[in-house]
Amino acid sequence: MPETYSLVEATLKVIQDRRSIREYSPEQVSDQDLDMILEAARQAPSGENAQPWRYVVVKDPATRKKLGALAGGASGRRFTAEFVTNKMQERFASLEDEAKKKAAFEKLTSGQVSAFLADAPVSIVVVGRKDVWDLPYDTSAAIENILLMVTALDLGACWVIAPCIDIRDEERLKDLLNLPEGIKAVSIISIGHPTRPHRPRPRLPIKEIVFRETWGDPYYKDEA
Amino acid sequence: MKPNTVSLEYSNALMYELEKAFYDERGKGARFRTTTVGREFFNSKCLPILKSGEIDHIITTVRSLLQEEGIAADVTYTGEDRLLRVRVERCLHRPVEDSMLAHGIEPFTCLPANLIVLAIEEKLDRPVELAEIKLAEGACQLLLVIFEKRPSLD
Repeated sequence: MPETYSLVEATLKVIQDRRSIREYSPEQVSDQDLDMILEAARQAPSGENAQPWRYVVVKDPATRKKLGALAGGASGRRFTAEFVTNKMQERFASLEDEAKKKAAFEKLTSGQVSAFLADAPVSIVVVGRKDVWDLPYDTSAAIENILLMVTALDLGACWVIAPCIDIRDEERLKDLLNLPEGIKAVSIISIGHPTRPHRPRPRLPIKEIVFRETWGDPYYKDEA
Repeated sequence: MKPNTVSLEYSNALMYELEKAFYDERGKGARFRTTTVGREFFNSKCLPILKSGEIDHIITTVRSLLQEEGIAADVTYTGEDRLLRVRVERCLHRPVEDSMLAHGIEPFTCLPANLIVLAIEEKLDRPVELAEIKLAEGACQLLLVIFEKRPSLD
């Protein structure tokens, strides 16, 4: 018997079930699934309905390999800089398991946290027109739509920003994909079939993040 | 109005306001969008006089250029493994960094650092990351990390 959900329940479930998936089986993403994902992206909201987003679907293994190299290099640089200044150690101070901490440092400083792009069956490079007001917000909304549809299709995805963050990497990415000057590379979304289930990452308690009317007064009060 | 001259105070105040506005929009990520600031200056003034990819030659060349242009009084460095610690004395853009710090923002961009990074990337094809800018009395202490060769995308 399949589980049944109301629309509200199904929506929340998709949102809560989304994970950042970095390991994929060799199975390809079907064209039908990709069509659904891209249609979800197309339906995102945008300021003035400008729809500045454009998408480059990358399946070619040689290009994927280059995306992985670019992303891994970018992440490796960024996280190594954080490590050598001890900021990463401060960020992970509450993690008591030394083996886990070491593994996390290695994953981040080696760039492996993003280099996995090379092994994703398909990546959607999200880019946007610069001649609009709200490019970062519009494209982010589209990306969330992509991630939710991926989850609904029982696929896995990861939102990778590494090769788009530093202007030096973005320039190389633009050269690689032949993106014109008026277009900004925003993010890469890798998509594939997950190799295993993933646990949810922790979220801050809701009473810590919501305020009533003005900053500082908790919206959710402790029970009396 | 004097032709072709503006005060340093005016220029630095504008630079500070631009950096602050950018930081307010992009937060800590702003640093990654300013890594090529100074590239035109580098291409026109620095690149033509870079003769080799030796780190010592690169720093010496950048130091001479900054001194000749009246941008900084001195640039010295020490290296250990892949870390490069650079000290920039009396940079004329220092008031920008002071203003950032006074407003609780860690300085995130530095022209001398960018020149060194651009030079190493150009001559050695090795990526470099500016990890830290620390302000000392009369000088800025930069920490750079030099990585192995960049992967080819050709």
